[in-house]
Amino acid sequence: MPELKGDKGFITVLLAEDGPADRMLLATLVARLGHRVLTAANGLEAVALFEQERPQLVLMDALMPVMDGFEAARRIKRLAGEELVPIIFLTSLSEGEALVQSIEAGGDDFLSKPYNPLILEAKIKAMNRLRRLQATVLEQRDLIARHNGHLLTEQRVAKAVFDKITHSGCLGAANIRYLQSPYALFNGDLLLAAYKPSGEMHVLLGDFTGHGLPAAIGAMPVADAFYSMTARGYSPSEILCELNAKLKRILPVGMFCCATLLSVDTQRRLLEVWNGGLPAGYLRRVADGHYVELASRHLPLGVLENDAFDTSCDVHPLAVGDRVLLLSDGVLEVSNATGETFGEERLRTLLRECDEPARLFAQIQNALADFHGEAHDDASMLEILVSDEPISALPMQEYGKSWLISSQDWSASFEFRAQTLKSFNPLPFLLQLLMEVRGLRPRSGELYTVLAELYSNALEHGVMGLDSALKQDAAGFSEYYRQRDQRLSELDAGFVRFHLQIVPNGEGGRLLLRVEDSGEGFAVAEELARQQSPTSLGGRGMRLICRLADECTWDEDGRGVSVEFCWNAGA
Amino acid sequence: MSEHLDSAILSSLQEIMGEEYPVLLDTFLADSEERVRLLREALGQSDAQALRQAAHSFKGSCSNMGAPLLAGLCRLLEEAGRRGQLDGCEAQLEHLERELAIVRIMFRSERQRFVIGRS
Amino acid sequence: MTISAQLSADGQELIISVEGRFDFSAHQDFRNAYERVDASPKRYRVDLSNANYLDSSALGMLLLLRDHAGGDNARISLVNCRPDVRKILAISNFEQLFEIA
Repeated sequence: MPELKGDKGFITVLLAEDGPADRMLLATLVARLGHRVLTAANGLEAVALFEQERPQLVLMDALMPVMDGFEAARRIKRLAGEELVPIIFLTSLSEGEALVQSIEAGGDDFLSKPYNPLILEAKIKAMNRLRRLQATVLEQRDLIARHNGHLLTEQRVAKAVFDKITHSGCLGAANIRYLQSPYALFNGDLLLAAYKPSGEMHVLLGDFTGHGLPAAIGAMPVADAFYSMTARGYSPSEILCELNAKLKRILPVGMFCCATLLSVDTQRRLLEVWNGGLPAGYLRRVADGHYVELASRHLPLGVLENDAFDTSCDVHPLAVGDRVLLLSDGVLEVSNATGETFGEERLRTLLRECDEPARLFAQIQNALADFHGEAHDDASMLEILVSDEPISALPMQEYGKSWLISSQDWSASFEFRAQTLKSFNPLPFLLQLLMEVRGLRPRSGELYTVLAELYSNALEHGVMGLDSALKQDAAGFSEYYRQRDQRLSELDAGFVRFHLQIVPNGEGGRLLLRVEDSGEGFAVAEELARQQSPTSLGGRGMRLICRLADECTWDEDGRGVSVEFCWNAGA
Repeated sequence: MSEHLDSAILSSLQEIMGEEYPVLLDTFLADSEERVRLLREALGQSDAQALRQAAHSFKGSCSNMGAPLLAGLCRLLEEAGRRGQLDGCEAQLEHLERELAIVRIMFRSERQRFVIGRS
Repeated sequence: MTISAQLSADGQELIISVEGRFDFSAHQDFRNAYERVDASPKRYRVDLSNANYLDSSALGMLLLLRDHAGGDNARISLVNCRPDVRKILAISNFEQLFEIA
């Protein structure tokens, strides 16, 4: 029964009283207060009337024929459910027993005879206030429940979108083990891995500030950019630049993403690391069990403008059997019953004392579980085992539209000079161009690898004159890359030329690719001989090129090289 | 008005009921006959519980109507019923009937006075 | 968690002290500390001598302060950092943006 219009506090009152004079008197009293009065002469009538009319308040005589007030009160309270319908018992205060019964039957107050109009008015007012309070509580509870339901639905949708975009990439590869919280979306944890066309693996571990949807919102453009750029063959530095720019643009000031980006190159046996704000990762060398700390050297993503953003990576040589371990904040912050955190010390002890490297990952997992006492839900961890499994030809993922479906007869030449060489990586662009040729698509991996190798040789050994002999050990590695960064930033002369020619060949076609550089050249024959050794860390990767391309020929002076890729009809 | 009817309560009843005042009085008087009948019946059947309940109900009504002596007599019968001691109740019931007769007469003249006063 | 702010006599420097846990619950108070100041101080000092905990939302708040104080032109120092706090600042490389003492 809704409240009467105008809601000046006028309600419908049910009066159950078996004495006719008393009933009449009380009814008049209540009506004079402005309320609508319904009368019943016994408990049964009272319950029936209540069910039918749903009054807001009940005045109930205790002793009535047919059904007494206590039973009627019990039934009415049951019918009212979670709504508050106050019941004021009409009784004499002298009877303690009756009072107890009234309370147990659900009575909310008492009114004694003779009826005092002032007291009656006051009690009705007070009970009405309580009733309205309860009604408000229920209304708000229902409102909250509805909103909560909406929020949960939205979060489910967000999670579905998130899962599609931040798909696991190549996290399922045999040499990777990882642990990711099912609540990753809401913790702002991101774990992505994908292969470049030439076979290097890019891995991104990210930790957004904040929780919930705001964190997930930043994750999506990051995942998208990571996957598409990796698939197109962009370098870690270029990807970092793009991610930083995107996040700086999208995230409000004060929000950022701590991240570690890895590039694992099993072919060339090197690891590139960029860590901005995450706890140190570890590289465990199979040779001596020694750990190299991969510490955070940069500000997190999304803090600095791009012109101040430092994309330089640390480079480490890799050997087959080495292991790379990355972990999020959540791992170190796992806590025990007394509030202590797992912390870096415990982790380092674990690493030091581990005598079975193959079980290291599991050992860390167990240690965390033991420490916390139950499964923790906030930690992400990843381990990569450097293996010498050859990576089969990776098809280029379709990101974006191709405009020339089948281009079979053209040539193009490019000369990239010093200023361009300093800041532009031509490989993704060239690869994109070559992927317009349908026949070359199945071999995109090999093609990209060869292009990358030729370009790196031309630039590093040719134009910049770096000596690959440096790359014999870890210290030499660091020195080599230090020199590389330095010479590149100082570069003011030199060029690398690409000549691309696509010609038809019967039902198929051929790519003739030539790369020239402005460097001093090298002794081709000697270098080829030296590269027979399988343990050399550096070198010009000439064996690799010879293996992947259909034909390859170096100019005698070493300043130019020509390679060929062929395909048949139906490719 | 004496101790049979409480004039303060009667004024209050008049004020509350307004035009309906006589109806209230009539209602009470009619109902009180039924109450006494119930008391007689209970006593006749030596039903202490019924006596107690009937006396309790009537007591409330009487006090609402400003008849304190009548209410008091009801209380005595109620007590007796509660204790299960029905000896002596016959006398008390007769006393009650006599008091009711007095109250009835006084209410009728009240009624008369009210109607005249209104016209 | 308590935050208090004190402006230097010449109005050139604002010292904000953070006591207890510097985490998300400090958000509004920290903002009020530097927004509700009548002067435009040229320098800011955040005193963390009694701050026993700092998390990523605190780092975010510091970035907001830096933005308020002029971004790249801001002069903000974080002083009296306890070892734990210092560690967190070090991992995030915040010394590239703030003076840390």
